[in-house]
Formats: sequence, structure tokens, C-alpha cells
Amino acid sequence: MEFRERDYGAEESAYSLPRVPAKNHPLFARSLPYQVDVTDNGKDDFCDPLRGLGANMAMHIGDVEDVQSTYNRKLSNEAALQLSEKEWASFKRSLMQKFSATKTVSISSMSDVIVKSGKAHDKSSTSMHLEELDDPQKIAEEDVKVITCQEYVSRLHELKDEICHAWQADDRVTSLKLSIKVARLLMDTSVLQFYPTLFVLVTDVMDMLGDLVWERIKRRAKYADDGTIICSLPENFKAIDVCPDAKETCNNWFCKIGSISELLPRIYSELAILHCWRFLHDQPCESLQRLVMMMRGLADPLASVYCHLYLVRCAQKLLPCDRGYLITCINDISIILMRIISGKETISRYSSGNKKLLISLIEPTIEWSVKCMFTYQWEIGNLFAELGLGGNLSESSQNPPCISIVLHHIIKELPAEIVSSDALEIVQLIESSKDFSFDQHLNYTLLGFKLCERRPQMDSVDAVLVKVFQAVSQYDSLDEYLKVVDAYLDIVLQYQMENYLTIILDGISKRASDKVVAESELGSLQSIFIKLLTHFNDLEDAFALNHFVEILDVMYGTSRNTVNMHILNKATRNGYIRDPTTIQLLFEISQALHDGIDFSSIKDDDNQQSARLISHFIQMVDYGTEMDRHLTFLVECRGAFGSINELKGTLVHSSNSLAIKAMKGTNKHVSFVKSCIAFSEVTIPSISAGIRQMNLYLETAEVALLGGLVSHTDGLIESAISSLQSLDITRGSQINVDVDGIISSIRKLCSLLIMVPGNPTEGIFYIPKSLLSLVTSDPGVTPRLRARTLCAIISLSATFSQNTLPYHVKNTEVMGNDILFFGDPSYNQELSSISSISVQNLVEGIQEEAARGTMALEACNCIISSFKANPEISLICSRLMEIAKSCLNANDKYLRSTLNILDKHLACSRDACVVVV
Amino acid sequence: MSVVLKLSRSNRIYRSSEPVEGKIVTNLPSSISHQGIRLTVNGAVNMQVRGGTAGVIESLYGVIKPICIMNKNVEVRSSGKLGSGTTEIPFSVLLKQQGENSSERFYETFHGANISIQYLITVGIMRGYMHKSLSTTMEFIIESEKVNLLEAPISPEVVVFYITQDTQKHPLLPELLSGGFRVTGKISTQCALTEPLNGELIVEASAVPIRSIDIHLLRVESILTGEKYITETSLIQSTQIADGDVCRAMTIPIYVILPRLLTCPTNLAGPFSIEFQVSIVITFQSDLSKLYPKSDPRTPRLWLAMETLPLRLVRAK
Amino acid sequence: MVLVLALGDLHIPHRAPDLPAKFKSMLVPGKIQHIICTGNLCIKQEVHDYLKSLCPDMHVTRGEYDEDARYPETKTLTIGQFKLGLCHGHQVIPWGDLDSLAMLQRQLDVDILVTGHTHQFKAYKHEGGVVINPGSATGAYSSITYDVNPSFVLMDIDALRVVVYVYELIDGEVKVDKIDFKKTATAHSAH
Repeated sequence: MEFRERDYGAEESAYSLPRVPAKNHPLFARSLPYQVDVTDNGKDDFCDPLRGLGANMAMHIGDVEDVQSTYNRKLSNEAALQLSEKEWASFKRSLMQKFSATKTVSISSMSDVIVKSGKAHDKSSTSMHLEELDDPQKIAEEDVKVITCQEYVSRLHELKDEICHAWQADDRVTSLKLSIKVARLLMDTSVLQFYPTLFVLVTDVMDMLGDLVWERIKRRAKYADDGTIICSLPENFKAIDVCPDAKETCNNWFCKIGSISELLPRIYSELAILHCWRFLHDQPCESLQRLVMMMRGLADPLASVYCHLYLVRCAQKLLPCDRGYLITCINDISIILMRIISGKETISRYSSGNKKLLISLIEPTIEWSVKCMFTYQWEIGNLFAELGLGGNLSESSQNPPCISIVLHHIIKELPAEIVSSDALEIVQLIESSKDFSFDQHLNYTLLGFKLCERRPQMDSVDAVLVKVFQAVSQYDSLDEYLKVVDAYLDIVLQYQMENYLTIILDGISKRASDKVVAESELGSLQSIFIKLLTHFNDLEDAFALNHFVEILDVMYGTSRNTVNMHILNKATRNGYIRDPTTIQLLFEISQALHDGIDFSSIKDDDNQQSARLISHFIQMVDYGTEMDRHLTFLVECRGAFGSINELKGTLVHSSNSLAIKAMKGTNKHVSFVKSCIAFSEVTIPSISAGIRQMNLYLETAEVALLGGLVSHTDGLIESAISSLQSLDITRGSQINVDVDGIISSIRKLCSLLIMVPGNPTEGIFYIPKSLLSLVTSDPGVTPRLRARTLCAIISLSATFSQNTLPYHVKNTEVMGNDILFFGDPSYNQELSSISSISVQNLVEGIQEEAARGTMALEACNCIISSFKANPEISLICSRLMEIAKSCLNANDKYLRSTLNILDKHLACSRDACVVVV
Repeated sequence: MSVVLKLSRSNRIYRSSEPVEGKIVTNLPSSISHQGIRLTVNGAVNMQVRGGTAGVIESLYGVIKPICIMNKNVEVRSSGKLGSGTTEIPFSVLLKQQGENSSERFYETFHGANISIQYLITVGIMRGYMHKSLSTTMEFIIESEKVNLLEAPISPEVVVFYITQDTQKHPLLPELLSGGFRVTGKISTQCALTEPLNGELIVEASAVPIRSIDIHLLRVESILTGEKYITETSLIQSTQIADGDVCRAMTIPIYVILPRLLTCPTNLAGPFSIEFQVSIVITFQSDLSKLYPKSDPRTPRLWLAMETLPLRLVRAK
Repeated sequence: MVLVLALGDLHIPHRAPDLPAKFKSMLVPGKIQHIICTGNLCIKQEVHDYLKSLCPDMHVTRGEYDEDARYPETKTLTIGQFKLGLCHGHQVIPWGDLDSLAMLQRQLDVDILVTGHTHQFKAYKHEGGVVINPGSATGAYSSITYDVNPSFVLMDIDALRVVVYVYELIDGEVKVDKIDFKKTATAHSAH
């Protein structure tokens, strides 16, 4: 077998495509004619369908908007009702979940309907006397019974069923009576935490009653007694569409309910059938206003606010009307809260400890009422005035009190543009509401966040901030201080109000020193740091802020880690880090982060993220010409971050890169390059993954070779081979081994060897031979790995045989084998022997390979390109082609192209033979 | 076997000038023969005088002869047969004679404690001695003639009231007297039956916590017995407007829907009269009250303060 | 007309902090329809995300320092009338050898083979196919030399014609050359 001769230089010039300077190119920003062309074409071919779609979509969106605005304007359709149904349902769920602490309930005998089950409807109901609607036992007795909430709930469910059954049995009087009894349960507010749940359960029953009544009247409006249709009542019917009989029935219901003696069940019952007003009036809003007023008679704050809640809810079923009732609602709730807060009037049962609980029980009713107020697109206009919030503050003592928790929910629901335009007014309101129902600082916080949504005018921002910072400067609590300043930080940063930034950081520093920062404070600090880091383009600007590092140091735990990660992320975004102080600071931050990594769960995303950031930081560090300092830094890093495995790879890459940098300078740095190589060499063994180890050895070997350190290169390549040997490359364990990666690295090693001068002491081809023995000695080696390695050795041998090698390392001191062993017969002999062993093994081994068709083609291609054609070669090739043909489709393109090239090759040699003969 | 009366109006409200119309509906398992189907329409003022708290002389106790408003007997069918299954026989009965103008006689239906003004229509199917006759009775309601009604809305007659410890004629709890209280408000004293009774009140001050504020609707029924009117006042309906110690200085509405049948236009007929009152009753919190759980709410108690005002009820168009 | 960006051997951040600013300012989203990357991006996430932002259709093969095992060793894709093959090239023996690349081209059955690793721009027409090496987009040192000019390639594929634009950063200036070739219908008539 004879190696085919190659002339790399001639080939290069023969086949290179001619290169001409381009006057214009697609990425040229001002290349007008071309670019126009590009975009135009783009339009025709690509974007047009998309744009067409886009236009359609825009239209659709327009439609939707249209629909929405009509919907907002009219809000009379069923969809809106359904929407509010859904919201209400989820609100009720949350209400029950929020207050589900108690296990037992004490019930006064007032709730006899619960205790004496079933008795209520024993009484004859044939003769309906209105008095009977009232419970005869009006005055509560002292004896109190205790039952579990569960019993209570199940009893209520039973009652609901009873009401339903009675109704179906045409015993509507019983239904009503039972419903009233159920409503009476809400008179007992001593159950406290259970009250919201009770409310939900009771209003479920009341809603059911309301629906039953509604359906009944609707039936009467639609059908006569004998079942003939009087009127097909449309969905949005008017009172005029309703026949007198139905109106009569409806009126009777309101009369019956009007005769209920007790206030609370009367209001609930009327609310339950409130939507039936529609049969009588087109605009039944007067009733709402009256009912709100009537609720003032409910002295118990809890009973009263939940009654308000039910009113707001039931009003949703009506057509939207004047929001006056909502204003009264919210104002009256405010007055109730004021009574609780001031404690001037005795509200029995509620001790000061209970007041907080009471407020928390009341809060959902405020939330819902305020939300409803903003549901319709009413003119916000004089809303503040109506709520008694606006206007001249000196007169505000006349107005209903501004309760902080009510204010909170109003601010929460106010559209951002209103908050933005009326910010100063709002901040004054917050200032004046200092009651315990809601922490004032949280209102400041909320305002801050709302202002960030829509930024107000500069001058009003200034005025608002003056007020806010006046207030927060009084805060001793770090937590409160942080919460507020965090909310305003975005505005401060966006408007570049450095003075406030200084105030904020001073304030934090003052309050955070000498204390262990609490969990919630950490959260705020984290948010503040992230905002600062996001704002500053240059990390050094952030570091330069007063107290920045000092405040960072009071943080710990996951928040600290998160901030550290942000810092590192920021640091590594903008190219090299050169400032030694910054490097030191970041190093410390990295250390803190490293210390925070939980190595028991290294797979954890956060941990991986930390490791990645630290490694990125190390890579971005640049000491410029102080390369010794840089290497020292890498050594420090290896010490500090030893437990992060993936970091070691980074360190090796960095030191190799540093060595290259030194080489690019002057050659004085040989010793420094050696230090770098040594650092890499020492570091690599601690890297666990074998294939990474090998690749890093190879990189280091390349660098050593570039540095002219041939013996280092030899040593490193040997190490690479040993790490390859330590890999389990046998057939049995292929599952987790990246065979393709290993093959690629072996082949890369072969290409690298082309530049490495043969070592006469070890044997010139010591390394290819060890590769050869590695794949041939162990029969368990994966056939593909063996075959492709053998191909590699054949190609390598063929290359070595050339008079001039295709490439040499860029170091004039390193001579290639083509120069070292030019004309050495033993050199060529050894190559021949290596290659013939390889070819033999290759051909024999092909049969074992599962994908032997393709493998045979690859082997054939390799042999054709490596050897001159002769009978021996053509025999081998035809054997391989037979294997390929037996396994592959005759139309396989790889097969066809290999056959083509084989024909050409053999024809060429035949010609040559002819000439010789 | 059943006979049912079905009036043309489901609310059964008629005016004296209008015919009472409807159907007699029989439902029979087999056909029967009868000796005529007759309708009887009867209107009367029934009165009784009960002994009781108002100091009425015991001997006067008893039923007083009713005043007949009308009594009419009409044969709807002469003797014949009624088929099995459902048979409907329509009818129409004039209440007044042609040209008769005695609308004043047709008092509005009223169900009181001592006086009841009631109109009944009865159907009877006579079946001879051998069989029990089939019959059924139904009440229908008479409201005043529209032509005689006041033009609605009636002019509001509103009375301003104030209730303090000094306006009370009965003894009060010492703490009420010492601490004092003041509840003011206004309430209409003339009211159309179809409209709610309106008003409002404000608790301006009260040293003792309030337990409840109720509006009592009272009827004052007077019956002429011999030379004397015997008058009894009784509670028709109690409506709570405040439950618990309500907020001071807040306007609380008074809104009472007048119950049907239990109210009628204020009636000063002569042999009897029906008048109404409204009473604002403030109940203060007191342990004493628990000792009297079922006392008459009208009885003046130490823990109660009240103000009773006459209420003129009218039928408006 | 389709624009295909071909680049590779970024070695970010092992050997370079980022792509040269002059390249970045030229590469704006929306112009390019496909990106093919020969591999050795190294820190995959940032660079990968950046390239994806230029064009979401991106194809990457695996260099020896790419940790992401999802990148395949080789990849083929068809753009218009052309079939393109992609491979990093450290597996080719010897590196950048025409015959060896021709073998790979036959194996992948592609019209244009794009490989890297040598960090030197090359474009050959050989055995009817075209072989392109976009060089190193960051000018990272290679196995052979540390004297590398950053370069990348933009292929403008239009029917049977391809214009290859070579962007090379030489002494701080971007030099753009172009190479023009046509797919010879006859060369592949056998397929």
C-alpha cells in the first residue's frame, strides 16, 4: 500500500473561490438601493402573508375593543352579569378560605333554626298570618350551645334543601319563613371568624330564594294560569312588558318581606329579591339608596358591613345606575370603621384585641365595594369629593372620615392616570389617615407603585416626594422605611433625583446598622438592590453610591445570594472587568455566593446559576498587562471556589487564554507561559468528567505547542490519552457515554498530532500507536469508536507521509515532522506498518458495526483518499462496497457518490498503470 | 267531588260598581243531578268587644250584631244535571243595584282585632235531602271606588317629633333619667295605603345604649255600644328600624309597607270607627327587660321610650 | 432571496469576551432568515440568546468545548434549492483538508458544507460542491495560531445563485469581500 501524494498548497490555490471586495453588502446600514431591494423582496416573499395576518389581527383587536367599550358603556348584557357572577363566586371562595380558623361555633338560641332542626316547618302554613314571619322568641336567651362549624354548615345545607323542597311543593310560605330564619343567623356576629363563611352560606340560600321568586314572577309574566303564553318576555324586558298579574305577585313579595319585623332579615330578604324590582320599575335605583340608608340601623359593625356587601353584590344584578348608593355604602362603612377605631362609642363584645380581627373581617367588604365602584366607567370626576376625600382639607372634618384601609382600596382600584394626576391630593389623604385599620406606610407604598405605572409630571413628582419623604423620615422601623422607599425608587431613578437616592441610602444605613435584618426586610432590600443594579449601566457607578457595599453587607441568605447574582450578572454583561477594586469586591461577592451554595443539591437551578455567574466573572476579569497578577487571581479563585466543579474548566480556559495573551506580547514571557501551563496541568485532574478533562488537556497542549513547549505538549497529550483510557468506552456502557464526543476528540487529537514533532526517545509514533492499541487491544470497545479511530489513524498516517504537512504550529521554534524526518526511511516504514495494521483491523471490524453500511462507506472513502489505487486497495474497497451495498438502498446518495469517486479513483490508477506499462 | 270558585281577578280586588265575575268549577267523578246552583254574595261588618286591658266593663263582653252591607242571592243554574269531569260555569254578579249610589256603604275590606269588614261569595249546589249539598265560600276584597278617591299623591302631612326623657309619661330607668337621651325625626301622619309610611329619625344622644328602635303600626277600633264607644288599640305590625346601639347623628330612614287587609282607609262610619296610629318605640339595653321576655310591646316599661302619633290612612288613586 | 448568517468558533468567554462591537452593530434583528453556527459558542446561554434574537431560526453543531449535548455533531438543512451541511470541523483529519471535507460532504450529501475550527476563512469549490469556513467570529486563538482576524460569512441565496459575503475585521475595520457562485445543474444531475 502506498500513500497517495498530496500537494496542499496547489490544491488550495486550485480550488479556492475567488474573493473580490464587495462594494455593497446586505448588512451595510446605508446601502440604500440594496437594502430597499432586500426589504421589498422581503415583503413579497416573506412578510406579506404575515403582515396581512397582522392587519387582520389589528382589525380583530379593534373589534374587541369596540365590543369592550360598548360593554363598558352599557354593561347591560348577560355576559357582564356572568362575569360578575364568576368574580363573585371566586370572591366568596376566597372569603371562606381566608377566615376558616375556628372549629366550633357558639350559637345563641336566636339561631334555633340550626339547633332545633326541622321544627320550624312543623307549624301549619296554610293560613298565612304575617306575624308568623317573625320569630316568636325575639329575645335571646342566655344559654349558649356549641356546635362544630361542620355541623353548622351541613345544617345550613339541609335548610337550603328544605327551602327548595317546600318551594317545589308549592309551599312558598314555608320557603320564605325558613329563608328568613336563615337570614336571622346573620344577626349573631359573635361567631367572628365564622361570620364570613356564614355570610356566604346564608347569602347562597337567599340568592336561591331570590332566583326562585324571580323565576316564579317571570313565569307569571310569560304564561297565564292555564299555561297559554301571554308574553315572550325578552331578556332585557321593561316593566311595561310585564302583565298586571305578575306585577301583583311581585308586589305581594315585596309586601310580605316588608312585614318582616326584624331589620336585618328584612333587608337581606329584600336584597335577595331586589332584582325582581325590574318587573315593577325600569330604574329601581331608589330602592338601593333606601336600603343603604336602612342599614344604618344595624348597629353591629360586622353585621352592617356584610349587609352592605350583599347590597353591592345584589345591585350588580340590576342595570347599572347612579353610583350614589355605592358612595353612601363606602362612606357609611367608613363611619363604622371610624367608630371602631376611635372607640368613643362602646361597641360591646369587641375588645381592643378583637378590633384588629374585626377590621380584617370587614376588609373584604370594602375591597368588593370599592372594586364595584370602579367597575363601570363612571366619570371619576368629583369622586373624591363624593367620598368626602377631596376638596379643602381644612374642611374635611365635616366630611366622613378618611379611613386608611378604605383609602388603601380606593388607591388600589383607581386608574393609574387618576393616581398620576391627583398624586398630591392622594398623598395628602394618606398623610391625614393614620388610624390602625391599615398601616400608613403601606398606603405610601401602594401610591409609589401606582405612580410607577404611569409616571406623573416632574413637578408633581417633586411635591409628592417631598411629602412622602417627610413622612418616612419619621419612621424608626427599617421594614416600613424599606417598603416605602422601595416603592418610590423607580421614580427616583427614572427622574434622576440623586438627592433622594442619597437620602434613601442614608436612611437605610441609619436604620439597618446594629441590627439583624429580618426576613421581610431582606425582601425589600433585595428589591431595592435589583432596582439600583438595573438602573445603573455601569456597575462601578452603583458601587460608588454611599453605603452601597455597607448595606449589601447587612444582607444574608437567599436574598443576599439573589442580589449577589444580580451584581455578578451585571458585572459580566459589559465586557472585561479591569478595575482592581471592583474585581476585589466582586471576588468577595462571589465568595459569599459560593458559601451560600448548597452542594448537597448542586442540580438546583439557583446553584447552577451561581456557579455559572462566578465562572463568568472569572472569565471577564482582565488585569491587562499585569498578567502575573491575573494568574495569581486564578490561583486565588481555584482556592476559593474549589468546590464548584465546572469552575475548574473555566480556570483552565482562562489560564490558557492568559498564556496566549503573553505569547502575543513578547517572547520574554516564556516562563510566564510555563506557569500558566503548569497551573492548567495541575487544575485539570480535579475535573471529574473524563471527556472534558481530555479536551482541556488538548487545549493546554495546543497552547503549550504554540508557546514552543514541546515536552510540555507531549506530557499533556499523554495525560489526554490517559484520561481517554480512564473513560469506559466499551460496548456495555454506552448509555451514558457520549461516544460521538469521544470519537470527535480522538480525531481532533490526531489532527493535533500533525503539528507535534515526533519524540525520538518515546518513538516518533508513540502516540498514534497507543491510540491504535487502545482501540484494538480491548475487544469490548464500541465498533464504531474503533472503526472511526482506525480511519483517523489511517488519515493521520497518510498526512504524515507527505513531503510537506498541511499546517504547522505558529511558532518558528517548533519544527514539523516533515522537516525533522524528511527522507527518513524508517519514518515511512513505520507509517506504512501502522496504516496497514489499521486498514486490516478496520476491514475486519466493519462486520461488527450495527450501522456497517455507512461505516463501510466511510472506511472506503478514507482508504481511497489515503492510498494510491492498486489491486490490493481496490480489492479492499470492493469488499467494503459489497458490505455497503448489502446494507443500504441502491439509491442511497452516499453509496452513489462513493461509487462515483471510487470509479474515478480506480480509472485514474488504471491510466497510470497503462502509462507505466 | 269538588267545587271551586275562580274569580276573574287573581288579587280578588273589586270595586262596588264592578260586577264580581268568575267561574264555578266542578270536578265530579260521575254526573249528578241538582236542584239548582246558587251564588250568595254577602258583605258585613262584624264586631266584637273583648274584655281586656282597656278597662272595658265585663258585661259588655260579647258579639255585637253585625252590620249588613249587602246580601244577594242569585241562581246561576236552575235544576239539572252536572256531567262528570270538569265543568265550568261562568257567573257575573252585580254588587250594587242599578242606579243605587251607596258607595259609602261598601266599606273597604278590613281584618282587625274587633272589627272585621268582609265580603264573601258562596256557591251552593242543592242536591235534595238525600245528598249533602256541595258548597264553597271565597272572600273577595272591596276597595273604594276610584271616582271617590283623592288625587294622588296626597299632600304629605309630616310631623316632627322628638323623644327625650322629658317627653315620657311613664317612669323610666334612673340611668335614662340621669343620662338623658334625645331622638328626633319626622314622620308622615297621612299616608296612602299603597305607599310606604315614610319618615326618618336621628339618635342625637343617648347615655344608655339602645337595644332597638321599632315602628309600631297600631289600629284603634271603636264600637258604639249603647251610648258609648268602646275603643281598643292593638298592634298590627312592628317594624324594626334600628338594631342595637346605632351610630349617633346618622339619619335612619323610617320605611314601613302597610300590610294589606290589616289596614284600610281611616273609617269613621258612625256605629264603629277604624283609626290608626304610629308609634316610635325606643328600647334601651337593660337587664330588667330580660325578665319580661314576652310582654306586650305597647306596655310602657322602664326601659322603653315612645312617641305615638295618629296616622290617617287614605286610598289614593 | 434568503440571507443566511454563517459563523462559528466564538469561544465566548474563554478566549474572547464578546463578539466585536463592529460586528454586533451590523447584525440587527429582522434581516437574517437563518443562522448556521459551526460550534464552539462555549457559554451557550448568552451568546445563544443573542443569536436567537437576531433570528429565531438557528442551527448549531457541536464544538469540542460546547457543553450542550443537544447540539449534534453534524446537521443538514435545505434552504431554497441548496442543501447545506454543518459541522464544527475539529473531527476532520487533517483540519481543513479539502479531501477530508469532500468526504464529509459526500456523507452528508450537501451542496454547501460549512465547517470551522481552523479560525481561518476559506471558500472552496471542489468536486462540484462548495466548502465554506466562516472563520472565528471573535478572532479567538486556534489550535494552530493566535493570529486570527475575526470573521463571519453571510450567504445570500437566490435560486441557483449564491453570493457569499465575507466580513473580516482587519485592524479595527470591517472588510467585506464577496464570492459569487452558481449551483451547476449538471454536477448534481445524478441525484
